[in-house]
Amino acid sequence: MTEQDAIRMTNEVFIDSFEIPKDKLAPQANIFNDLGLDSLDIVDLVVALQKKFGIMIRSDERVRNIRTLGDIYQFILVIKKELEK
Amino acid sequence: MQLRRVVITGLGAITPLGNDVATLISGIESGKSAVEHIPEWENYIGMRCTVAAPAHIENEKLIPRQNRRSMGRLSIFAVQAAEQAIKDAGIKSGSLTGGKLGCVMGSTMGSAESIAEAFEIMGTGKDLSKLSATKFFQCVSHTAAMNVAQYLGITGYVLATSAACASALQAIGTGFDLIRLGKQDIMLCGGAEGLHPTVVGSFDVLYATSSNYNKEPKKTPRPFDSKRDGLVCGEGSGVLVLEDYEMARNRGAKIYAEIIGYNSCGNGSHVSESNHEAIVFCIQEALKSAGITFKDIDYINAHATATIQGDKEEANAIRHIFGDSVPVSSLKGYIGHTLGASGAIELIASLIMMQKGKIYPTLNLEDPDKECSGIQHVMKPVNKKINILLKNCFAFGGINAVLICKSTRP
Repeated sequence: MTEQDAIRMTNEVFIDSFEIPKDKLAPQANIFNDLGLDSLDIVDLVVALQKKFGIMIRSDERVRNIRTLGDIYQFILVIKKELEK
Repeated sequence: MQLRRVVITGLGAITPLGNDVATLISGIESGKSAVEHIPEWENYIGMRCTVAAPAHIENEKLIPRQNRRSMGRLSIFAVQAAEQAIKDAGIKSGSLTGGKLGCVMGSTMGSAESIAEAFEIMGTGKDLSKLSATKFFQCVSHTAAMNVAQYLGITGYVLATSAACASALQAIGTGFDLIRLGKQDIMLCGGAEGLHPTVVGSFDVLYATSSNYNKEPKKTPRPFDSKRDGLVCGEGSGVLVLEDYEMARNRGAKIYAEIIGYNSCGNGSHVSESNHEAIVFCIQEALKSAGITFKDIDYINAHATATIQGDKEEANAIRHIFGDSVPVSSLKGYIGHTLGASGAIELIASLIMMQKGKIYPTLNLEDPDKECSGIQHVMKPVNKKINILLKNCFAFGGINAVLICKSTRP
C-alpha cells in the first residue's frame, strides 16, 4: 500500500462515515478539535478503518495516541507493513 | 391538591400520507390511501402480507450528524415531528432547557431496522468488532424519547412508554398526569414507529395481517368491514405539545383542546385477544376521570385496525356504552396501523376534525360487519360540532388506553 492509497482511503472514511468536507482533510487536522469527532466517533472510526483496510486495530494501544489525520495515515502504513512481514 | 388543567398547544406529524399535519389532513380529506404493495417482502418465505403504508424520510441531513448517528428510522421521524410541534406551539428554545419541559415518547420497540442490522453482526461466530458504537442507541426501547430530548436539549422528565400500539396514547396520558400534578409545565408527547419486515412478520405469524389484498393494496385495511382480513403496518411519528393551561393562556398560545380524561388498563386475560369487558372498563374509567358521561362524547376515534377479533371487541364495547348515539371512525384505512405512533397521529387528526367541525369517515368501510354493528359508523364525511372526543388505543399484551379531549372554543 502506498502512502497516497492510505491518505485517499482514510479520507474516504472521514467523508463517508463522518460527513467531513474534503477541504478540511489536511494531515495536520486534529480529529477532535478540527474535525469534531468525539469518544463515540472514535469507536466508529476504528470500525470503519478496520473495514476499509481489512485490519484489526480494536485492541491496539497505539490507537490512543492518534491525534491528527496525519497520525492515522502513518498508523495505517505501519500496520500494513507489519502485516506484510 | 388542586390539579392543573392541561391543554394541547402544538402538533407535529410524519406520516405515510405526508410529512406534516397539513398534508396528512389533505390526504385524509381527499380519501387517499397510503397503502402500497412492497415487492421485496415477497422474498421473505412464509410472509403472507406484502402491503404496507410507508412514510418517507426527507431532509434528515438537516439533523446534525452527531445527533443523527444515534437515530434509527423511527427516531428521525420522532425528532422531525417534535420540531414541528415545538414550532407550531411557539415554544421558545430557552424553555426547552429549564427543567420544567420534558418529553414522553413511545414506540413498540427500538428501531427494527437497526435491531435487525445489529443482530446480523452480533450472531454467534460473527465479528462483534464490526458493530458501530451508536447502534445501541438506535436499538434501545427509549430511542425516540432519548433522541428527541438530546436533539432539542430537553432537561425535564424524559420517559419512554413501550406498550405496542398503545405506546403513544400512554405517552400523552403520562404527560397529562405530569403536568396536572405540577411536576412539569410543558411536555412533548407522542410516539414513533419504523416499518420493517421483521415487525410485519411478527403480526403475520399471528394471522393478524391483511393478506387478501396484496394485489389491490388500496382496498385494505378495512376497519369494521365484513371483508376485513387484518391490519396493515404503517410508520411515522406524531408529537403533541401539552402545556399547563394557565401558562398557555398567559403566553397567548393557540389551544387545540384541553385533555380532560385518561385511563389505561390491562385486560388481565390474554396477550393477543382483546376483550370488550376490559375496553368497556377503560372507557368508563376515562369518562369518570373527565367527570362526564357517555352522553357528552361527540365523536369516537376508534383503534379499529381491521383485525377480525379486535374490531369486533371494540365495536361491542362501544355499543355497550354508547349504543349508536356517537359517530365512530377509524383512520387506519388511510395510513395503515402506525403502531407505536398511531395514538398520537390519529389524535392529531381527530383534533383537526374538532377544529374543522368535520368527521372523516372510515376508509374502505363499505359493508359494516354484522359483528361490528349497532354503532354509528361514519362512512362518508360528516359535518358536526365536536365539543368532546374520545380516542381509543389497544395493544398486544392486553393493554388499553383511552384519552378524552374537550374543545376550549365557545
